[in-house]
Amino acid sequence: MTEPKVFFGREEVSASEKTARVHTVFDSVASRYDVMNDFMSLGTHRVLKRMVVESAALRQGSAVLDAAGGTGDIARLVHQAVGPSGSVTCFDINNSMLQEGRNRSIDAGCMDIDFVLADAQQLPFHDTQFDAVTIGFGLRNVADQLRALSEFRRVLRPGGRLVVLDFSKPINPGVRLAFGAFKWTWPLVGNVVAGSSRPYEYLVESIETHPSQAVLALMLRDCGFNDVRYDNLLGGIAALHWGTR
Amino acid sequence: MLEKKLLDILVCPETKGPLVYKTALNELWSPEAGLAYAVKDDIPVLIAADARSLSEDELKELNKS
Repeated sequence: MTEPKVFFGREEVSASEKTARVHTVFDSVASRYDVMNDFMSLGTHRVLKRMVVESAALRQGSAVLDAAGGTGDIARLVHQAVGPSGSVTCFDINNSMLQEGRNRSIDAGCMDIDFVLADAQQLPFHDTQFDAVTIGFGLRNVADQLRALSEFRRVLRPGGRLVVLDFSKPINPGVRLAFGAFKWTWPLVGNVVAGSSRPYEYLVESIETHPSQAVLALMLRDCGFNDVRYDNLLGGIAALHWGTR
Repeated sequence: MLEKKLLDILVCPETKGPLVYKTALNELWSPEAGLAYAVKDDIPVLIAADARSLSEDELKELNKS
């Protein structure tokens, strides 16, 4: 039996091949990750990540899972929102990104964020453990996204909320043209700042093949989420989706 | 050393069954999957492909306890 094909950028590869290649991409960018994010988003990624936390309907004491949390910037914002009585667990499949996240969290005084190396498609957490699951710019890199969404639902308590932030399809033709051109500068700058252009070529291609707003909303519904909604951000360059278990 | 509040929410990613924390080895053992997951720099590595298989003796030891 042959494995079903998924996109790695524009190339169609097997799911396991995509997982391996994404691994290489993030190993190579971990230390320059936030610098590049600042450039590529013109500083907006910090605001977008704040919107994730605001949309997650968190309270003091909430238990939150930050999925594919990488360098931990969403986890640290969540940590502020849930207070000392809450708990934050951050997982990523990439060890370099997670080490970077843990070191930065210690530097920021967020000592009690738990870090776990795990695969979004096969979560190592009990059912109904979390009040909210967040994932910022991570779902795009997962090979089997439906499987990951089902896992997020499994670990959410009934009534708990999933919030997904990722690139999407610009709705305005002007924004589409401008963003379409701008994003091709990323590999060039990546080459200078982070020493390699290939990870950023992958990034650009992965944005192009990622599901549209409506398709991702359908995927959430297919996985059993209720009250699925989305908001376009920056004219649809990114979108925020949320759903309730 | 892993904290209890983290251990309480973790399961084997493959079987979703319980994990036993072996403090001396700093490993999380999954009796159902027969796998030992490493803990590196206080970060549990809960990826089945990265786990080591438990030996027959180790499985026996688990059954006894």
